[in-house]
Amino acid sequence: MRKYIYLIIGALCLASAVYANESQIWGEMRIQNILGYGQEESWKLGPLFTMLQSQYFAWIFLGVLLGVPAVFFMHYKIVGPKVFPHSEKKYYAFNLYNRIIHQVAAVSFLVIVPTGFIIVFGDFFGGGTLVRMAKNLHGIFTIPFTIVVIPMALMWLKEALFNLDDVKWFLILGGYLSKEKQIIHASQFNAGQKMWYWVAILGGITMIFSGAFMFFLDFKMEMLHNLTGMSQIDLLRAAAILHNVMGFAVVALFITHVYMSMFAIKGAVHSIITGYVEEEEVKFLHNKWYKKLKDQGKF
Amino acid sequence: MSNEMARMKFYCDDHRCIECFACSVACAEAHELPTGISRRKVITLHDGVEGKEVSTSIACMHCTDAPCEQVCPVDCFYIREDGIVLHDKDKCIGCGYCLYACPFGAPQFPRDGAFGHKGAMDKCTMCAGGPLETNSEKERHLYGQNRIAEGKVPMCAAVCSTNALLVGDAESVSNIYRKRVAGRGQRS
Ligand code: SF4
Ligand code: SF4
Repeated sequence: MRKYIYLIIGALCLASAVYANESQIWGEMRIQNILGYGQEESWKLGPLFTMLQSQYFAWIFLGVLLGVPAVFFMHYKIVGPKVFPHSEKKYYAFNLYNRIIHQVAAVSFLVIVPTGFIIVFGDFFGGGTLVRMAKNLHGIFTIPFTIVVIPMALMWLKEALFNLDDVKWFLILGGYLSKEKQIIHASQFNAGQKMWYWVAILGGITMIFSGAFMFFLDFKMEMLHNLTGMSQIDLLRAAAILHNVMGFAVVALFITHVYMSMFAIKGAVHSIITGYVEEEEVKFLHNKWYKKLKDQGKF
Repeated sequence: MSNEMARMKFYCDDHRCIECFACSVACAEAHELPTGISRRKVITLHDGVEGKEVSTSIACMHCTDAPCEQVCPVDCFYIREDGIVLHDKDKCIGCGYCLYACPFGAPQFPRDGAFGHKGAMDKCTMCAGGPLETNSEKERHLYGQNRIAEGKVPMCAAVCSTNALLVGDAESVSNIYRKRVAGRGQRS
């Protein structure tokens, strides 16, 4: 763990040290960069980024920000929450380590997501100090997330691998479209949670790298240059496009995750706070896991 | 002549540029730019290859339909009636988007603070200052001299010893250049 943190800090220092004069943006590469802009045989990332950023990104983010909660609001009104008794038997599913890792990621997201929106709608907020602060917090709170993302990936990897049950889960959308409490055949994580796992982990790592690229501008990644043959400025453009597009997915699923744990399954959020999951919840929503635990005499 | 106001443009004649760096140095001095920022840069291609070597001076080109202006998330750019593209440093958050959109790599960022935050973007103003009160101390501090307001030519073009660097309304610049090309007996 220690080593891992040093590695991150080391990479950050290195990245700021190589700044300025030998920059690949303003130095010798500049002419190539100019010639590469929108030329026939080039990637045309400059004009592409300009078009996407000026006409689409903010609108899509607005759509996600309003649309996803709107769908859930209707779900809450029409289908309603699933309420399970919380006084019954419990099982200790998340130990302290699991919870700390999750909470660090949770707090990071609670800062990163709203500040991201403030940046996207920066003109609405009038720019200046507020938006600049949001941008800095957006970067600073990436550090705790970066530290926990790998431990989090590892601790839940086994449970997050997709299997055939997940197809069935998707076919009935986990039973969330019916008011009835159905027995759902899922293990510790259902397909929805697994999807969030992969978007949060893989999407999160993508966001870290593309974000770091934009934060440091001269972040050198020889491997990426060689692999793609792209110049630094084109890598930056690609990073900006990727960061926004991946942002749509991460934000949409983040809102879903919050809605599910706080509203759709009343009080489910307590399980990650106290570590205890409720027998009834497990029995109905994660029946496969329930049977396994029962066999082991855990309830 | 169109009845619209003429657009101000730069043009660097690479047949004349002798790579003396006067424009770049004069700009940095006139506007007291911090180290690591150079609004105007001289670039030489095929350095030392006889007959192929060309030098030219590049800064912000004050584009028509400036891409930087289109992508800025805080909308801090404004384009003057004469076509000069300026921005408001008090609004700018240093996100870098304008740099990704710019075809000429013009926007640059000073490093602030311990974490290497990007500070407010800096680029050539065509010596026209910024949105603050003209020729105020604060304008000079943030954006450099406002020579346009004083009726002077931008610093870089003023010091160019070979008159390679031209600045003015697009029509006059292209007239001068066309005359030169005709004089040299080149085609186009
Ligand atoms: S900063 Fe770049 S895109 Fe904007 S006007 Fe100057 S040259 Fe054009
Ligand atoms: S760096 Fe500043 S001027 Fe450039 S796009 Fe971002 S906020 Fe706008």
